Amino acid sequence: MSQDERNQHPETCGSNAAPYVLGALTQHESEAFRRHLDTCTICREEVAALQVVASALPAAAPQITAPRDLKRRVMGAVHEDALAEAPPPRRPAAHRVPRWRPALGALAVACAFALLLTGVFASGGGGGGTRVVRAEVRAPGATALLRLQGAQAQLTISRLPQAPRGRVYQVWLKRSGGPQPTDALFTVSSRGGATVGVPGVGRGVREVMVTSEPLGGSLRPTRAPVIVARLG
Amino acid sequence: MFKPLRSSSERSAARLRVLADEELMQLVYRRNADAFEVIYDRHADTAYSLAYRICRQRPLAEDVVQEAFLSLWRSGARYDRNRGSVRTWTLGIVHNRAIDALRRRAVRERGVVSDEGLEERLPASERTDVEFARRDEAREIRDALEQLPEEQSRVIELAYFGGLTHVEIASKLDTPIGTVKGRMRLGLAKMRMTLGDPAEVVQ
Repeated sequence: MSQDERNQHPETCGSNAAPYVLGALTQHESEAFRRHLDTCTICREEVAALQVVASALPAAAPQITAPRDLKRRVMGAVHEDALAEAPPPRRPAAHRVPRWRPALGALAVACAFALLLTGVFASGGGGGGTRVVRAEVRAPGATALLRLQGAQAQLTISRLPQAPRGRVYQVWLKRSGGPQPTDALFTVSSRGGATVGVPGVGRGVREVMVTSEPLGGSLRPTRAPVIVARLG
Repeated sequence: MFKPLRSSSERSAARLRVLADEELMQLVYRRNADAFEVIYDRHADTAYSLAYRICRQRPLAEDVVQEAFLSLWRSGARYDRNRGSVRTWTLGIVHNRAIDALRRRAVRERGVVSDEGLEERLPASERTDVEFARRDEAREIRDALEQLPEEQSRVIELAYFGGLTHVEIASKLDTPIGTVKGRMRLGLAKMRMTLGDPAEVVQ
């Protein structure tokens, strides 16, 4: 946010973004601030920027191993729930998974096709508030479309190779400086498809990028981008 | 008769472990306990570490993690992938519940407790490259927090790990509320600069 923007900003407004992401507002203040976020772009951007750091704070706690007995208790309750709720399974869960994945892949392809049509419509003069940007993808045969509608953005990917073993794909936003991390981490389906919500695409975002990062994501890209969508 | 079943379940587990959290959540909606177990295995250590850091009591931290994961299992449909990763969402639930537990039990009287003597304990078998990378990153985040001026790191720790509201922090430190909020903002913004220094970005 520029100094000018800050000057125009009501004093009581922006100062709540930091306590909000740290959970330091009272419940009442927090609810009021959430309503305020619906109408204030500046606060939304500030929250998105500070939330990235707040989301990383759990890692600042010394890392210790969860007790094995805890897993037994959690999974015991889960299995009890599953038994109580579900009718007797007709076939083992193991068989359901492979049937699911192609279905998801097909859905992703269908979504990509639908988005492509939307993009053609929007660029053909339809408008309607939706803009579709075709991203540059550094993988043979792969495609990626970024759909922007107001403050919402969604990346639809097809035929992207799996992230290297032990890594996931992560979405980054690039403004005037270097890429800033987002919470959007994903892997692709067996057919290379994925549909990913991209948080924080507000004013000043020039590029949306994707890199492969260690599980859990990174604060700085450790690999060159595989997808770059230029908004400028 | 159980042998083939176990083997089939192992194959199923192996298939599930290659799926992304977001894909696993789709299965969790359909009450797939195996998919949920993979999510638990991925995030339980960080969740427990966070809960323990806030609660400072193992039984309380265990209760918090158990409640948080069971709430994930029982109300997984509330997860909205547009609002962040499953990991962030899960740790957010753990954080909220740990703070609630802390407030209920009123064991926060001395605010931030030193971590001295607490070692990072992960079994050697889990120290994969990914684990090392994650631990490096954890160290980087801790360093960024520690490098802040004490007045800024203190308000962040009192709020995030101590569960105090900005009003309580202001009262505890005998500092105006506006100053407390300003220090929180400055501290977080500075951490963001440190952690995301564009000069060091790999392009």
